[in-house]
Amino acid sequence: MNAPMNRIGVIALGEVPDLIPQSIAAHIQGMLHAEVDVLPPLALPSGAFDQGRLQYSASLLLQHLETLSLGLCTKVLAVLDADLFVPIFSHVVGEAQQGGKHALVSLYRLKTHGVESPSELSLVMERAAKVALHELGHLYDLHHCTDPSCLMHFAGGVEDLDKTFMDYCNYCRVFLRDALLRERAQPDEDE
Amino acid sequence: MTEKMSILVVDDERIVRESFLHWFRKYGCKTEAAASGLEALEKLDRYPFDLLFVDIKMPGMDGLELLERVKQQYPEAIVIIITAYGSIDTAVKAMKMGASDYLLKPFQPDQLSLVLEKVANQKRLVSEVQYMKGRLEEITRFDNIIGQSRPMQEVFDLIPQVAQSDASVLLVGETGTGKELVAKAIHAKSKRSALPFIAINCGAIPDSLLESELFGHQKGAFTGADHPRKGLFVVVSGGTLFLDEIGEVSPKMQVDLLRVLEEKKIMKIGDRVPIAVDFRLISATRRDLEQEVSRGAFREDLFYRVHVITITIPPLRERKDDIPLLAEHFLRKYSRQTAKQVDRIDSEAMRTLKSYDWPGNVRELENAIERAVVLSKSRLLRAPDFSFLSAGPVAELKPRSLRELEKAHVLRILEECDWNVTQASKTLDIHRATLHKMMKRLGLRKP
Repeated sequence: MNAPMNRIGVIALGEVPDLIPQSIAAHIQGMLHAEVDVLPPLALPSGAFDQGRLQYSASLLLQHLETLSLGLCTKVLAVLDADLFVPIFSHVVGEAQQGGKHALVSLYRLKTHGVESPSELSLVMERAAKVALHELGHLYDLHHCTDPSCLMHFAGGVEDLDKTFMDYCNYCRVFLRDALLRERAQPDEDE
Repeated sequence: MTEKMSILVVDDERIVRESFLHWFRKYGCKTEAAASGLEALEKLDRYPFDLLFVDIKMPGMDGLELLERVKQQYPEAIVIIITAYGSIDTAVKAMKMGASDYLLKPFQPDQLSLVLEKVANQKRLVSEVQYMKGRLEEITRFDNIIGQSRPMQEVFDLIPQVAQSDASVLLVGETGTGKELVAKAIHAKSKRSALPFIAINCGAIPDSLLESELFGHQKGAFTGADHPRKGLFVVVSGGTLFLDEIGEVSPKMQVDLLRVLEEKKIMKIGDRVPIAVDFRLISATRRDLEQEVSRGAFREDLFYRVHVITITIPPLRERKDDIPLLAEHFLRKYSRQTAKQVDRIDSEAMRTLKSYDWPGNVRELENAIERAVVLSKSRLLRAPDFSFLSAGPVAELKPRSLRELEKAHVLRILEECDWNVTQASKTLDIHRATLHKMMKRLGLRKP
């Protein structure tokens, strides 16, 4: 069987430890059985920086990603180490286009102490993978889940994030599998 | 997955509206946005949103004014106020005005999540209470007999008293006044309540069939009687038998009924073995049975048997004060049944309902509300939704006697004069004292 694969790209925007996009890619591969490309890093677009809030605008960054040509990827996750906001919230650690193509993962608030010790890096990697899998769920049109242990449960902070398992609940797993199969069944636009 | 809420975001800033819409899409909620208070009210008129996020500072109608209007018109809607730093006093004022919570812009992601959780719990509790109230209504004995007017209160007072005795009851009232409901209420309050309540409409069944229904028959008693059958007098066994439209039964059946009531025994058709029966009889009629007796259409002895106690149920036009209560009750009933989310009747429509004479009484009102709910495109019923009433036979009062005609006319004039006797007597061109005497004689009292 030569079923077309779901192809997901992970890209660093600005300064991000190499291990993190790789770790996120590995988690996605293991969980979704999708083909994952770690794409060459790009600079953070200065135009997305809001001088009033001193944070990056998530919507402007997502708009920026839309302008880029990022290979054959059906979904793209951008990882950055900068503080993100959306107009109604003081900050966000991730943002995705519901049912769309692009999502963001911010490492800025995933660090507990701001120290890059091996244990801290490992913790940040785990949290980033959780946020990435959560945002990826939104890209596949999954909604927030009421099961507090599910990856699709909304986590308001790192404490909540640490309480979720590195897995989707049974329902979300089924919805995600259906969405992945639907995507595979679609004709490839680039071919 | 929890039940999805419907959310309306009201903010004059497009970027804030879009941000909210984007966020709630992640919860799979039905979400719409309005750029002003007026637009929000228009949207609320079309759809019953569960939850509103309202910005305080908006040009034109501000958040507080919108909150006030929402709480007046849609008290069930939950309102969360959005405000910026520095307007905490206004937020507190909003809470006093009925807002459920407030959020300071820009808020922490988990604050919105907590508010949503709180609102979902509140909504769940409200739904549970509504469900329980509905269940309670179903099992309440006076369910569906609605009325606060004096004539209905008198009926309500009589029901428990009558229920205690085993005497035959005659319910008198026009078609659609709820005679069967009163009969059921009497049964439910009586010591026979655990036993069957069987209703049969004597006017709707051919005489031969009615006899077979009530008395039962043996196999081969008549053509088509292939199997023996128990009659309702036996089936009801210890319960209450409700004979609706008793004034319609044939003279032969009147004799049979009289015998049963006197002897408490029946014989099946085609059988000679008497069977003892035990039931409480409640009869109903829309006719003036006394008049029927005097003209020889109804047996006098049977009349005295069935009307040991008489309860007169007033027509709806004589208890118009009950119309809003009844209309609201039917509106809730049909909104639930049709899932149309029609939940209000405006004052003009209510005036239309109150000015109509309802010849078909409560049943006609119920049908009118059902029809209006089914055809309505808004959640608010307005006067044009009841235009079929004005096209209908408003004046089809059809009083059957001079007394009824007199009573209806005097009542109408009194209502037109807001029960001002002096004014009404001038309109009727009679002396005030005469009108007082007339009102006493006709049983007309200010509601």
